[in-house]
Amino acid sequence: MKEKLMALQEQALAELKKTKTLDALQDLKVKYLGKKGPLTEILRGMGSLPAEERPKVGQIVNEVKGVLSQTMEDVSAILSREALKAKMASEKVDITMPGRTHLKGHLHPVTLTMREIKKIFMRMGFEVIEGPEIENDYYNFEALNLPKDHPARDMQDTFYITDEYLLRTQTSPIQARTMQSREPNSPIRMIAPGTVYRNDYDATHSPMFHQVEGLVLGEDVSLADLKGTLETFCKEMFGESVEIRLRPSYFPFTEPSAEIDISCVICGGKGCRVCKNSGWLEILGSGEVHPHVLEMSGYDPKRVKGYAFGMGVERIAMLKYGIDDLRLFFENDLRFIRQFK
Amino acid sequence: MLASIAWLKNYVDIDVTPEVLAEKLTRVGLEVESVLHLGEGLEGVLTGRVTTIERHPNSDHLWICQMDYGSGEIVQILTGAQNVHQGDMVPVAVVGSHLPSGMKLKKAKMRGLDSFGMLCSAEELGIDAKLLLPEQRSGIFILPEDTPIGVDIKQVLGLDDVVLDIDLTSNRADCFSIVGLAREAAVVLGKELHLPALDVAEAAGGDAAAMARIEVQAPELCSRFAVRVLPNIKIAPSPEWMQKALRACGMRPISNVVDVTNYVMLELGQPMHAYDYDQVGEHTLIVRRGAVGEKLVTLDEQKRTLDPSMITISDATHAIGLGGVMGGLETEVTDATHTVMLEAASFDGPSIRRTSKALGLRSEASGRFERGVDIVLCHNALNRAAHLLEEMGACQTVHGIVESYPMPYKQAVITVTAQAMNERIGIDIPQAEMVAILRSLQFEVVEQGDEMIVTAPSWRNDVTCDADISEEIARIHSYDKIASHLPIMPLAQGRQEVIEDVKDTVEDYMTAEGLNEVMTYTFIHPNSLDKLALAPEDARRRAIEIMNPISDEFKVMRTTMLPSLLATAAYNLAHQAESVKIFEVGKVFLPKSLPLTDFPEEKRVLCAVLSGRRNELNWTEDKAEVDFYDMKGIVEGLLDKLQVQGYTLTTIAEPYLHPGKSCAIVYNDQTIGYFGQLHPTIAGNFTIDNDVYVLELELAPLQEAATQVPHYQALPKFPTTSRDIAVVVPEDVTMRELEQVILEHGTKLLSNIRVFDLYTGKQVATGSKSMAFNLTFQAQEKTLTDQEVDVIIKNIVEAVGTTFAAKLRD
Repeated sequence: MKEKLMALQEQALAELKKTKTLDALQDLKVKYLGKKGPLTEILRGMGSLPAEERPKVGQIVNEVKGVLSQTMEDVSAILSREALKAKMASEKVDITMPGRTHLKGHLHPVTLTMREIKKIFMRMGFEVIEGPEIENDYYNFEALNLPKDHPARDMQDTFYITDEYLLRTQTSPIQARTMQSREPNSPIRMIAPGTVYRNDYDATHSPMFHQVEGLVLGEDVSLADLKGTLETFCKEMFGESVEIRLRPSYFPFTEPSAEIDISCVICGGKGCRVCKNSGWLEILGSGEVHPHVLEMSGYDPKRVKGYAFGMGVERIAMLKYGIDDLRLFFENDLRFIRQFK
Repeated sequence: MLASIAWLKNYVDIDVTPEVLAEKLTRVGLEVESVLHLGEGLEGVLTGRVTTIERHPNSDHLWICQMDYGSGEIVQILTGAQNVHQGDMVPVAVVGSHLPSGMKLKKAKMRGLDSFGMLCSAEELGIDAKLLLPEQRSGIFILPEDTPIGVDIKQVLGLDDVVLDIDLTSNRADCFSIVGLAREAAVVLGKELHLPALDVAEAAGGDAAAMARIEVQAPELCSRFAVRVLPNIKIAPSPEWMQKALRACGMRPISNVVDVTNYVMLELGQPMHAYDYDQVGEHTLIVRRGAVGEKLVTLDEQKRTLDPSMITISDATHAIGLGGVMGGLETEVTDATHTVMLEAASFDGPSIRRTSKALGLRSEASGRFERGVDIVLCHNALNRAAHLLEEMGACQTVHGIVESYPMPYKQAVITVTAQAMNERIGIDIPQAEMVAILRSLQFEVVEQGDEMIVTAPSWRNDVTCDADISEEIARIHSYDKIASHLPIMPLAQGRQEVIEDVKDTVEDYMTAEGLNEVMTYTFIHPNSLDKLALAPEDARRRAIEIMNPISDEFKVMRTTMLPSLLATAAYNLAHQAESVKIFEVGKVFLPKSLPLTDFPEEKRVLCAVLSGRRNELNWTEDKAEVDFYDMKGIVEGLLDKLQVQGYTLTTIAEPYLHPGKSCAIVYNDQTIGYFGQLHPTIAGNFTIDNDVYVLELELAPLQEAATQVPHYQALPKFPTTSRDIAVVVPEDVTMRELEQVILEHGTKLLSNIRVFDLYTGKQVATGSKSMAFNLTFQAQEKTLTDQEVDVIIKNIVEAVGTTFAAKLRD
């Protein structure tokens, strides 16, 4: 009997060795270990054996069963791995085909620049204040020390709606509006971004553009503080290596006044077409707030002083992104807007 | 303003290069825009005399000139110009010389004869034609007879000069002159300033007061008016040195008297005018306002109509000039003039600006009056002009100046302390240094302990308060020396207004939805409102109009964003965009009354436009175009993002919308926007052929919802059961109606309801549609059994069946 069982085991193992598929393996399982298989048959026929033989035979049968089951499991694992491998091989994709997309939208470069300017100043504790685009003469000019016959009020620069109302030519009116909305002489640290209008339309002028105004008032705020603040801003905006310089200039609402130049972001100060070989780019106008401006809005210039500044957002966007034509901003060609991430 | 370095050198010793001077001036507030080297590219061109001239034997236009240019030999040069004569002095470009055009002269053969150089025209020398007399503009440039031979033409014509082009700020009227700039140059270079000679011989005898009368009838427009009388005038060209100076500064030499008035204006900054004394009625000059409709023929032979805003110079009977703007033709100085009345006055700048603008007459003189001229200068200018004319033998001078100067100028006296100045600048300059700076600028300073009592010179009438003094100190001391630090202030929170946060959220949402942000002009063409077919009584027709628009394109402030975005969509579709998905958060301007008597309402509005392909052409997608439900999805998603709940969509009757594919957005009983398909006719008005979907939504009403903080809801503990039902209903039953009935009968266990299919076609009867819903059931306290859900479904199906004559689809 033992020989018979051993031969059976040998035969089964030989067949298992040749098994190539999980289906064939299943057939072998049925054939050898199934209800109608030889091992079951032997166990069933145990009754005809002498009593003392039975445990021996039973033990051998179980041993053979164990060997075969274990081997079948091993073969099954191998075949399953191979089957999965074969399945995956058949699932191969062309990785060079484009991925599934949905159209992405882009913010306008002026918005991106405006947001960045706001972020830099908000991190320095500035409030952001808005004002009306349709202004009156008083806020746009008079309260800013621009007397009635100042050349900047000339019809050629300002869009008028009536003699009294106009499209603001600058964001500066928010200086006076802010001061007048506060407790007199209380400190102010604000920027005022917005749309402004000038009656000028050619390759380098747009009748509508954007500015950011700034105003800082306190007991002891000097030109040195102006320099520090705007140096911080320029370095955040254009990179640590950017240098700034102040140049005396004139604005009716500041005294002393300064134009702020940054070292050319295109050539690094060596001189190029954009900076007209000077190595410097004019970037914003600024100065200590004129005592008249403070007085007119209820602040006492003997107790409070500070600085104001104003910058053109399109100008900064052009330098930041290397845009060489102002008109692109308002043409709104999607091929342009999609370039800004 | 143009400033000749050679001219500046008359008054200050300039021992640095023009570029260095330019940088130094720029750094004290006189921005030099460019440094112009006049004779750039011109090398080796010499003066030469035509010794003989004869026709070329083989040409009917060429001439053969034998030239002497001081080389010791006579050289043959051919020319095609027809204005050359024997004995003429001309510029000779000899072999080897260079011209500004880049040309290098070589020996040439012309019709068989050798030419060793070229005779030059003014243009070939690089001289701007507008600086030349008409007769000098064509042909060879004929030089004055007494020009020395063999000299570099750059010296002769002043083309060795360098000119600074300065962009003057409007406060620095004092620097609108060579002497004014020399004054600043002397300070920045640490040199002495030498002022021009003003002495007048007055050799004609007589007394000006007896010969001329003046009367200022409009003192508010003319604070000073002064005249000198110059008899025995000999009109001739002005000397070459003066012509060079004028040309370098961009003015055309004309004749000695005119040139001297221009020269003195450029030199000192005082505009002047010369009258022919004998043409001035009763030798009387009256300054008054123009009469309504009064006529005057100005020097440019134009007939002008005057009005009372214009400063008018008149003689005893009628207008003979526009003060500070342009003289009259009638009293012009001519070759026949025997005696000149020379005027130097101080006119009101704003009036001059309005007049010159109204008449389109902007000149060097009007530009100076607009900025303001030093009132003390009048005498200096008259004396300087008389001095120069006497010096060139062009006239004699009568004794005295006739003038009206009722309110003599009083200089501002400003008291400051070094401490206050230092605090303003943020620096620490000793008082002594401040005093030295101010004195170098010719401010008078009296020190009284800590106080400095400062009197500004007459030409610095822009200096009126302590802040102005601080700028003078800071700019001369150098802005570079100001330290850089951040202000010391109480901590404050950096923030923006809520509506700006909402705007940022909306912009971010819209870009995430695949829309691109555009930025459009807020002024539009009035016909845009016609293109939208707005009714005459529509409030949006009441747009604010700009008085002086650039053109009709930019004439009214928009009351709706739609035209701006439709124009942008049209532009992009015309530029072959397959998909236009754009938005802008902008402003519309709604007047409370017209004409405007109060600030209008400025509303922030989101506008979006969709047209064309839904997605980029891609192998993974179908090629569908956007439709109503794309826009609706965007609106619903946005309102969800802003936590806006309880809004409804209702029908809307806008003339520019597709009546069957549009709706209003109603929130808190207020219509806050609309969306839908643009009416195809309206799309056509904006030159768009495609289907277009549009949205306008006000942002302000959404602010409150947008600032809510979401409140956490506990997650369900038990699993859900989901069932699908499909019902066939008549076509006009809406999804909302069906949903209502399902919700009513779904009990509180129905936790979610979703439409997942809509079908019309062969499978259902005509006039019907099939709609499939996925229903989710959930109990808070247990897992639901199939039987429980089956009962609810049965109720729903029955209710739908009886309400809509619907039946369950197989």
